[in-house]
Amino acid sequence: MQTAADWERTGVKGEVTYATFGCNVFQESNFPTPDRVKPDVNVERHMDVSLNLPTPDGKTIRVWTFSDPLAATPALRLPTYPSPLMRFRQGQIVHSTLDPKKNAHTLHHHGIEPTTTNDGVGHVSFEVNARYTYQFRPHRAGTFFYHCHRNTPLHFEMGMFGPLIVDPPEGPGTLFSGGPKYDVEKIWCVDDMDPRWHTMEHSSGMCGEDVGLNRFDPKYFLLSGVFNNKTTTDTRAVIQAKVGQTILIRLINASYSVLETTMALPGVCHSMDGCALGLEPWNAPLPQAANRPFVISTAQRRDIIIKPTAKGVFPVRMRFLNWITGQVQDGGRGIIDTRIVVT
Amino acid sequence: MNRRKFLMVSTVAASLATIPGMASAQAANGVFDLTIEAVDSEMIDGQFVFSLMFFNKSAEGRPILEVTEGDIVTINISNLDTRPHGFGIPGIPTASIASIPAGGQATVRFTAPVGGSYMYIDPTLAPLNRIMGLYGAFIVKPKLGTTLAGSATPFSRASHTPAIAAVFNAMGTHKRFPGNKWIPTDPERDKLWLFSQVDPLLAARVDAGEVIPPASVVPSFVPRYFTINGLSGYDAAPHKVDETTDWTKGAARIMPHGRQGQPTLIRNMNAGLCTHSPHIHGNHVFKLSDSNASGAVVCAAASYELDAWPLPPLSRQDLLLPFERPGDTIIWPPVDEPFPMRYVMHCHTEMSQTAAGGNYPQGLVTHWEMTGAL
Repeated sequence: MQTAADWERTGVKGEVTYATFGCNVFQESNFPTPDRVKPDVNVERHMDVSLNLPTPDGKTIRVWTFSDPLAATPALRLPTYPSPLMRFRQGQIVHSTLDPKKNAHTLHHHGIEPTTTNDGVGHVSFEVNARYTYQFRPHRAGTFFYHCHRNTPLHFEMGMFGPLIVDPPEGPGTLFSGGPKYDVEKIWCVDDMDPRWHTMEHSSGMCGEDVGLNRFDPKYFLLSGVFNNKTTTDTRAVIQAKVGQTILIRLINASYSVLETTMALPGVCHSMDGCALGLEPWNAPLPQAANRPFVISTAQRRDIIIKPTAKGVFPVRMRFLNWITGQVQDGGRGIIDTRIVVT
Repeated sequence: MNRRKFLMVSTVAASLATIPGMASAQAANGVFDLTIEAVDSEMIDGQFVFSLMFFNKSAEGRPILEVTEGDIVTINISNLDTRPHGFGIPGIPTASIASIPAGGQATVRFTAPVGGSYMYIDPTLAPLNRIMGLYGAFIVKPKLGTTLAGSATPFSRASHTPAIAAVFNAMGTHKRFPGNKWIPTDPERDKLWLFSQVDPLLAARVDAGEVIPPASVVPSFVPRYFTINGLSGYDAAPHKVDETTDWTKGAARIMPHGRQGQPTLIRNMNAGLCTHSPHIHGNHVFKLSDSNASGAVVCAAASYELDAWPLPPLSRQDLLLPFERPGDTIIWPPVDEPFPMRYVMHCHTEMSQTAAGGNYPQGLVTHWEMTGAL
C-alpha cells in the first residue's frame, strides 16, 4: 500500500504534456484516497472478464465488463453485460474500489460530483494500475451510471459501464425525497454496437495509430442487454404493470446515437441527469405526451413516471439516429421495439 | 508558391504563420473589417489541413465579434479567396450578404438585436463553406440585461423568463450558491465553446478545385478532427495560467477558471455537421437558452440542470456553470487534495474524442478549474 500521495506523479500537480494526455497518461497503483473517511458502503469492481454475446445473426460479439467480486452469490459474481448495478442511498459515504486486474482502467461515476482524484479521468488525475478506492457521498437521488474513462471511445463501447442509482434516504420506491413514488421500476440502458470496434486491443489508437475510432457504424442494438430481436418479449426489456400501479423508467442512453423514443403511454419526466425537477423555481416536471417522440443524446438520463389507467399492450419504439446524417442507423434497421404490458 | 497563411498551434513559426484559437475583435465605431482567406491549418497531431476562415487584423482566425444591443454594426468583408463567398448570421436576417465574388468586397450594416449568442457563417453552398471553416461567434450584450431583482444576465430583460430570472437571482443568494452573482464585465466569467469538425479529404477536394455538390456533403462527411474554438485535445485548455493570461482569446477563452462561487457563462455553439453531446464533470450546468428554427435566441421556460446535452448542427445554447461546491465531496475544502480541482468537459459521443482515427483524448475535450473554496 502506498502511504503518501505524490501529487507530482499525477495530473493534479505533475507536468501535463501532449503525451500525458493520452499515449503516456499518468498511472498509479494503490494511490491513497485523499481525505479518506470511514465508508457507509463499499462496492468493488474488477476488470478481468470478457464475454462473447451471441448476436441475432448467429455470430458472437466480444464485450468487456466490470464484475462485482463482493456480490452475494457466485452467480451474481459472474460477468454481465451491461456491468452490474451500483445502488446507494443519498448521503451515504461510498467507497468504490477498482481493481483492474490487467492493464490500466478507471471508474468514472458519471454525474457524481466528487473531487478530481475521485472523478476517474486519467489525464487530470491518474489511471489505475492496481487498486484505487474512489470516495464520494451522493447528495442527489436519481439515475447515474459508471464507466471506464481510459481510451473511452473504445472502453465505453466495449461494455465497461453499468447503471448507478441513488435512492433517497427512504429507499427504493421513491424517486427522490418529496418526489413521486413508484411500484414498478425498469432500467432501460440503451446501447448500440459496431462489431468492427469489438476486435481491437484495449490501447488501440492511443499513441497515434489510425484505428478508425472516428467512424461508428452500429449493427447491433440493445436494451438492457437484450438484442433488439427479443426486446418485445424478454422480461429485461418489457415492462409489466397492473392498472393503478406507478411505473418508473430510468432511461440511460449509453449508445453513440441520438436516441429518439416514442411511447404509446403519456408520462412525466421527473428528473434529468440525476437532478430532480420541480424542487426549485427554475424548472418543473416535464410532461411527455403519448406518441410524441423525444430525443436524448449520448449519456443523458431521464427518469419518467407513467401511471397507466387502462389495460393493454403499449408499444415503445427507440430509433437510433446517426450523429451526422440524422438517419436511422444500419440502413434503417437501428430500431428497438419494446412494450409496456398493463394487466 | 504557397501564399496561404499557415495557422500553427506552436507560436514558434514562420512570419506567415498565425495562431488558431479565436480572439475578441474590437470594433472601431461599430465597424469590423474582415477578410475571407484560404489557410493551411495545423491539427492537433501536426497534420496541416486546407481551411477557409474569416480573419480580422489580429493573428487569430475567426474573430469573436462583440457588440451591444442597439449598436449600428458595420461589417466590411474582403474575399481574398479564389471562390465566391457570402455572409450571414442566423437569427439576424438583415446581417446578410448574398454573394461576394472572388477578390471582391462587400459591406453589411444592421442594428444589433437582443442580447445573446449568435454565429456568423458563410451560408453559401450550405453546409460546404461553413464546414470548411467559415464561421465565428457574434456576441450581443444586452442594453438592459438585469433581472427586476438586479441580477445581471446575458439576455435582454424583455426576453427573460421567470426561470432565467430565478437562476441568476439564485447566484450569491440561494443557500446552494454562496459567493458572487454572475459578473458580465469580468472576461473570466464569459466563455465560448464553438464546436466544429474537420474532414481532411473533403478539404483536399475543395483545395483541388473540385466542384462539390452541397447535398453530397453530409452523407459523405467523415470527420477526423473535432474542435472547440478551432482547438483540440491538449491545446484546448491552457496548462499554465498566471496574471498575464489573456482570458479573451485562445485556449483561455475556452477553459472556465475561478474560485467556488464565481458562476461562469458558457456560450456553446455548433458550426459543424455532427450532433454533439457535451458532458461536464464536477458540476451540472444550467441550460439557459436555445436558438429556434429561425435562429432567434429563446430563453428557457424551464432551466434544467444537466451533465450532458444534445447540441445539433447550428444550435446555440447558453449555459451557466455555477462553480458551486462539487456536491458529492465529503471534506470541503479538501485537506489532502490540492487545488485546483480540475474537471473535464468532453463530447460523450466518443468518436469526437479522437484525432485522425485514434489519439484519445485529442478531440473535443477541455476542462474547467476551481482554484479554491469560498
